[in-house]
Amino acid sequence: MAMTQTANNDERNALHAAAAQVAPSRESSRKLIQRLPVTMRPSLNQQLTAWDSLFPFEQNQVSQFLRGLESLKLSELNDLVQPLKALEGKMGVPRWNFSETQDTMENASMLARSEFYADWRREVQRVFAAINAAAHDASVPAPRPARLILIVLQESLPVGPIHNWKPWDKRAQVLKINGDARRLTDLCMQGQSNQPGIAAQFAQEAEGQSADLWLIDAEAQLQSSLAMSERKTASALSYAVLKPFRDKFLADVNTVPKSIEATDQTLAALRHRDWEPWWPTELAGQARLRSFVIDLFLSGNGALIFSNAFVEWAASEALRRARPRVILARFGLRAKPKPFTGIAIFENQQRISTLPDVDDPKGSATDALILARYIWLAALRYPEHEQTCCLCVVEQQNTAYLIAPDGMAPPWGPDYSPTPEELSAWINAHLTA
Amino acid sequence: MDESRRTLLKATAALLVDQWACARLGALAAEPSTGAGRKVVVLTCGGMRREDTFADSGFQNIPHLYRDLLPQSVFFPFVRNAGVTSHYNTVSSVLSGNWQRLDDWGKTPPSSPTLFEYLRKQMGLRQDQTWLISSNKALTSKIGSSSVREFGPAYGANVIFPKQLLINAVVHAAAEGRAVHSSDRSTVQPEIEAMLNSDNYDGLGWSVGGDTSSLDILTLGTMQKAIEDLVRTNAPVTGDEFTFLVATEVMRRFAPSFLTITLSDMEVAHFGSYSLHMAGIGTVDRLVYELWTQLQSLPAYKDKTTLFVLPEFGRDLDGSTTNGFFNHRQNSESTRVTWMMCLGDAIRKPQIIENPIEHTDICPTIASLFALKNLDLPGKPLPGLWL
Repeated sequence: MAMTQTANNDERNALHAAAAQVAPSRESSRKLIQRLPVTMRPSLNQQLTAWDSLFPFEQNQVSQFLRGLESLKLSELNDLVQPLKALEGKMGVPRWNFSETQDTMENASMLARSEFYADWRREVQRVFAAINAAAHDASVPAPRPARLILIVLQESLPVGPIHNWKPWDKRAQVLKINGDARRLTDLCMQGQSNQPGIAAQFAQEAEGQSADLWLIDAEAQLQSSLAMSERKTASALSYAVLKPFRDKFLADVNTVPKSIEATDQTLAALRHRDWEPWWPTELAGQARLRSFVIDLFLSGNGALIFSNAFVEWAASEALRRARPRVILARFGLRAKPKPFTGIAIFENQQRISTLPDVDDPKGSATDALILARYIWLAALRYPEHEQTCCLCVVEQQNTAYLIAPDGMAPPWGPDYSPTPEELSAWINAHLTA
Repeated sequence: MDESRRTLLKATAALLVDQWACARLGALAAEPSTGAGRKVVVLTCGGMRREDTFADSGFQNIPHLYRDLLPQSVFFPFVRNAGVTSHYNTVSSVLSGNWQRLDDWGKTPPSSPTLFEYLRKQMGLRQDQTWLISSNKALTSKIGSSSVREFGPAYGANVIFPKQLLINAVVHAAAEGRAVHSSDRSTVQPEIEAMLNSDNYDGLGWSVGGDTSSLDILTLGTMQKAIEDLVRTNAPVTGDEFTFLVATEVMRRFAPSFLTITLSDMEVAHFGSYSLHMAGIGTVDRLVYELWTQLQSLPAYKDKTTLFVLPEFGRDLDGSTTNGFFNHRQNSESTRVTWMMCLGDAIRKPQIIENPIEHTDICPTIASLFALKNLDLPGKPLPGLWL
């Protein structure tokens, strides 16, 4: 425990130190960015503009990139980016209405429809990698704490037998849980008499930082596993709790006209609008998390429409942007599309139809199963997955799908059915190992 | 599907087409005025992965395509979309035989002539002989003709969006603060009627030939009755179902030589519901089979029609940064490589042709079917067909 705390503090201090290098000198950072080819600028400039809404991981990432950029001699940089600049010329970028200050749909659309798009992507990746490598030369290796992704397919979801699932990972194993699997989340969060839970552990370590522990719920169950004093130490998002905000936001998003330029303007306006009256009290004072939610909803992927898409996309974005140590993701039920109004699925079905909602357990289970797998596949994109334990609990079957990181196999044999207590104790021990 | 609901949808579709016919110079045409009598129908549907369709893991999702139609077809299992994998660009590329790189939302017309224009210019076809009937709201009426000076709207197709009529009605009701209630059909009915009664079909994304865009009172009354019936059914109405019914009604009344239908129910995938995406694939499977049955039963089409069926693209790989099946913008085989099925008149013999082909090969193939000459197209006519 003490060692973990030290590691976490080291990591946090390193992140803050890195962030501090950039924050006071944004103008010089922007000048650095101007050295890059045009198509690389909007994303970086946007991150600088929205610095305070970035997670520590993102701030560190930008800082590191800028350090790498600064460390290159101008001649080295010119040699590095020359092929990309030449490609931009072939693509016609100088003639485009291309925003350099932020990522826009128009930018993305113009890039994607260029016949050189694939080449452009390759070149950008090459340049990014080279500049990051230059920064790495001077940086200290980051600590690699243990991580957990705990996915819950709640009891109303009739998912099929695990052995019929599309495989997630060759290391996966199926566990029969000897007891009520519904207790597992609470046991992990609250711990047991001889072992503190995740919530207490993070409350002690986090010191107000909420980027390391995420609770993402299709309904509103997970937040109840946190004591009031622990709530500020987690990024807790509930699709159900967000309903008033979602409804208002969806209504406004649906006013977006069918034009890319106008859409960019409307989306920018939505991003900067004062949403205070619609935010749930649970997100009071959490500006960064609110900004995350707005970004999440504006990036589509069904997060505004279906609760399970919200859970998957929020978890994927949290993994990408915050690299949390723990994610709890809980899938739930959605309603069936309603007669007649179901053709306008992007509309608020409760608003446009007075018919009562009817649950769709089978469809929800199909959706949840593929989306749960997507969370793990999202984690696999980042090196942190090597320290990550993934456990997907199927409450209805009292079973679980376990992917243990290399060298961290559970202490029981293949035929053993652990109790919820044993399983949660092993998970929590993994996190503090 | 419930038969009474189907009947009502058919009635609505029939009346809709009646209206277009009456609104256009009052002239109904059952036969093409010129041409060799060959008919071609192209049905494209949005993004469907091979693994969810023509693969061991997907056959169960497409029983009609796999069991009933594949044995009669020339099947191309490797069809590449090498262009922009958005709906408007893809359908424009298929129709023009050139990779189109246009505004994704259809702000500009294709930059090279479409089959509609080639057909109408070379064969002297009337506008009611070339149609595009689309479920997809990502398309616009600009897809009916190109920006090429020698061609353009004068040679364009009728382009209509039946699904959009229903969506607009529902959305309009919502915008006005009115909810839809199954037992109170008056809540939606006026919305659809208002859409139909619009002074400007283009406001709906429609582009029907001629200048007439208003409904005569008699037809309007009949249409209103059909819509009333449609609303009263209180059963799921899919946009693709309505698009299909309108398309078959157009075939019955106009017998166009060249008809393109695009379906889009499976695009619910963008919202993250795999189960609803699969339901959309099931709808395509059923409607293609019904379309084929229709083509065998309509005298104007029987034994002289070639049907092309193809997804516009696949969907992104599981685990991709673009969120897997949700989207179709990844430069991967999963997104770019799909399949195509050809049925009917031009089939030399049922077979599977594994040589890869591209979307841009479809236009020269159809051009050859109609004996169009002197087209400068990059693609090659497909093998396995009588051209």
